[in-house]
Amino acid sequence: MQPQDLQRALAPKLGERLLGVEPFAGTAGRVRFERTAALETFRAMRDDLGFAHCAMVGGIDWVETREVLYVLWSDGARQYALLSTTVPANDAHVETASGVWPSANWHEREAWEMVDITFDHHPDLRHLLMPDGYAFHPLLRSFKLHEPEELEVKVRHV
Amino acid sequence: MSEMWINMGPQHPMTHGLWNLRVQIDGELVRAVDPEMGYLHRGIEKISEDRHYNEVITLMDRCCYVAGMAWEHLYILGAEAALQVRPPERADYLRVLCDEFQRLGSHLMWYAAFVQDLGLMSPFLYGMRDRDLVLDLFQSFTGARMTYEYMRVGGVRNDLPPGFADRSRKVLDWLDDRFREYDALCLGSTIFRKRCDGLGVLKGPEAIAHGVTGPMLRAAGVKRDLRKDRPYSAYDRVDFDVALADSADVTGRYLVRMEEMRQSVRILRQVLDWLDHHPGPVVADRLPRWLGAPYAPVGAEGYLLKRNYPKGLGLSAIEEPHGEALSYVVNDGGEHPYRVKFRSPVFANLSAASTYLVGYHVADIPPIMGSVDVCVGEVDR
Amino acid sequence: MSTVTLYSVSYDLAHDLLFLLGWILHYGPAAAAVENPNVVTGLGVLIFAAILLAASMLNTIVLIWYERKLLGRFMDRRGAMHVGYAGLLQNFADGLKLFRKHTTQPAEADHVGFYFGPTAYMVSSLVIFGILPISTGWNSGALPLSLLLALVVFSFAPLFIFVSAWSSNNKYSLMGGLRSAAQMIAYEVPLLLAVVAVVVVAGSFSLTTIVYEQQNYWFWGPLVVALVVFVAAMLAEMERIPFDLPEAEAELVEGWNTEYGGMLFAFFMLADYLRALVGSILIVLLFLGGWTMPGWVPSAATSFPLAGIFWFMLKTYLVFGLFVWVRASLPRVRTDQLLRVGWNRLIPLSLLSVFLAAALVSVRCLPVFGCVPSPGG
Repeated sequence: MQPQDLQRALAPKLGERLLGVEPFAGTAGRVRFERTAALETFRAMRDDLGFAHCAMVGGIDWVETREVLYVLWSDGARQYALLSTTVPANDAHVETASGVWPSANWHEREAWEMVDITFDHHPDLRHLLMPDGYAFHPLLRSFKLHEPEELEVKVRHV
Repeated sequence: MSEMWINMGPQHPMTHGLWNLRVQIDGELVRAVDPEMGYLHRGIEKISEDRHYNEVITLMDRCCYVAGMAWEHLYILGAEAALQVRPPERADYLRVLCDEFQRLGSHLMWYAAFVQDLGLMSPFLYGMRDRDLVLDLFQSFTGARMTYEYMRVGGVRNDLPPGFADRSRKVLDWLDDRFREYDALCLGSTIFRKRCDGLGVLKGPEAIAHGVTGPMLRAAGVKRDLRKDRPYSAYDRVDFDVALADSADVTGRYLVRMEEMRQSVRILRQVLDWLDHHPGPVVADRLPRWLGAPYAPVGAEGYLLKRNYPKGLGLSAIEEPHGEALSYVVNDGGEHPYRVKFRSPVFANLSAASTYLVGYHVADIPPIMGSVDVCVGEVDR
Repeated sequence: MSTVTLYSVSYDLAHDLLFLLGWILHYGPAAAAVENPNVVTGLGVLIFAAILLAASMLNTIVLIWYERKLLGRFMDRRGAMHVGYAGLLQNFADGLKLFRKHTTQPAEADHVGFYFGPTAYMVSSLVIFGILPISTGWNSGALPLSLLLALVVFSFAPLFIFVSAWSSNNKYSLMGGLRSAAQMIAYEVPLLLAVVAVVVVAGSFSLTTIVYEQQNYWFWGPLVVALVVFVAAMLAEMERIPFDLPEAEAELVEGWNTEYGGMLFAFFMLADYLRALVGSILIVLLFLGGWTMPGWVPSAATSFPLAGIFWFMLKTYLVFGLFVWVRASLPRVRTDQLLRVGWNRLIPLSLLSVFLAAALVSVRCLPVFGCVPSPGG
């Protein structure tokens, strides 16, 4: 499967909201889409293109924006594909993928607590690795390791 | 007894690590489960952002304490993809050697823990005894038994010591022999079959939807093995079969792992033969200066000025002993990775816990979780 | 010289001690009091009990050592090695450590039950040793119903286990206690039915008589079905692998003794092995001819001093070695499977064994084994 195949399958469904498909080494391609088109993209990837396995959902903090990265695998094509969408840091939320791929559930919980990206309509958005009520998001660039005064753990009891 | 919640963990013999399985039971029947993770969270992804590329390898060994080599390999592949470095061919083979020995070590550890969960005492010791031989081999060329720190961006640290091939062939012959004994002790026992057949069933489609990978998926009859489907290092140049079973239960996972160990022995024999006849360098010769040089001089020629490597995102995927491990390493041109993210196979396998635990007995939880082969280090990172 | 019996030894010892005391007291009225036959008998009983206690505890500790060494061999390792010769004193060291340890009690635990459970469990296991005959003369007197009494005391255990499990206020303990109760009740029935087969053939409830009935042939041959049932049920009663569900460490941590530490845990541990010893002894007494040896054994091997005890202990340790072998090679079964085996397989088998025993008694003679004596004879 080539990036053009992804483009051909996704463009009619997403229209303008498909921001582009770039080649990416070792995968079928990297799909960039608007976050408003999240569900349509997920469904199209799973049902039309056969990416039934959502291997990973991760977040990258680019300070002003945050990027959500989905890694998918198709057993038919024997290939990975990347999906990514960019959300502004002050309004970081995107539709959950856990309705399409149940495996996204825990990955999204982790992305939420680590990189502070809220997943709308997530069935169970609780802390996974951090204690309940932990007020910080450790994998944000603003969370510095080497300034001890900021390392003080503040637990908000809920 | 009415329904009640019990905490299996964080310090419980079943957990094989540090996590908590909350179980709602009705008498002896499991009604609901809720895994609680995070007891072993060390923030490896965060710490990596403050380290040079080669310094992250130290953390990888701590990531999974039974499969450190595989995690090193995963990170190295991601970092090499991000920095666009290619290792020499001999290093590729050495990495396959490490991976497969690690798979043997990890599966032997799994065997020991799994039979212990069933109450089989002797095979536990047998598994640990044979794993020790693999660790001895690791020690002979990395100097460590658990935290190897052997792989480097662009190759591996050192070549094999003389006499290594003979020693490892002896170990492989011994292991080949022992696998028959393992099977006799487990599959030959009626109680074992009664305990394991039809237990913890997780069928193919459901397993795929829940992101379950590795031996658990292959035991459900889905032929997915990244070593075959998306060959990395030298896996496209060695000959092996993908272990498969179709019963999707605990026995199936047992069969798949035993067959994988046999295939590992087969791969290792080929790799050892290749290494015997192809001497050469084990590290690429042109590397960024700031890879593993925390004390490099800063100056006109210092490492801070050498930021001409491409920015990018490197994705890597390997078939870890527990399943499909993924990582991406984001490189923004600095001397530290901008972001490192790992996908642990056990993380996904555990997230599907309610699909294969609910409806069975409390006494079935240890064998089922044993067949999942939990390594908490890589789940929590 | 009259035969030396355990009772005569302790009585003589008591007599000599009191005589010495009287000599120290210069034959005054106090001396007359201590040389009173009732006092002598009382002290004799106490010494007798002390000897039994010491012997049983020593045997238990050696039994644990024996199991550790044997398991070590099965597992391709060496077992305890460092304390004493070949680790013989390791268990004494362990016991000393447990003795020194502080006993902790969970905050919400029931104090009385928490202490009563292990103590009663230990005591009830020790009491059985007062009942079991070891050799000719070395028993506490031939009680006519000693077998029944031993089994009654033996079956007290689930009650005490349940008390200690429930009072430690821990869900794992409670589950372990419930499993233990279910298991012991399920396996009590086949155990007793298998014993009935032996009693039918021997015609007596007295263990001493049962052993003497085996002069001609040991009961394991004609009563092999009963032996199988008895061994299986005994494994369950001792809570050893494959039937160690009540303390299945994989899922229940340590079952009903999860919350126990220090000496209370040592009580449980000791009582478990005491019961294992009792189980092995019962198998030897009921099926393997007790301290007697078959006629083809040269008389030199059976007539040296304490030969009876020697052969008896040898058989007991061999039987226990079998249990260790089972432990080293079998996985643990599940609760429902265990109960199904108990009710669906062992009880019909044990009924069959009773019928076979009755048939044996009515036929009287068997081609290989010879004739059985008339019932009650």
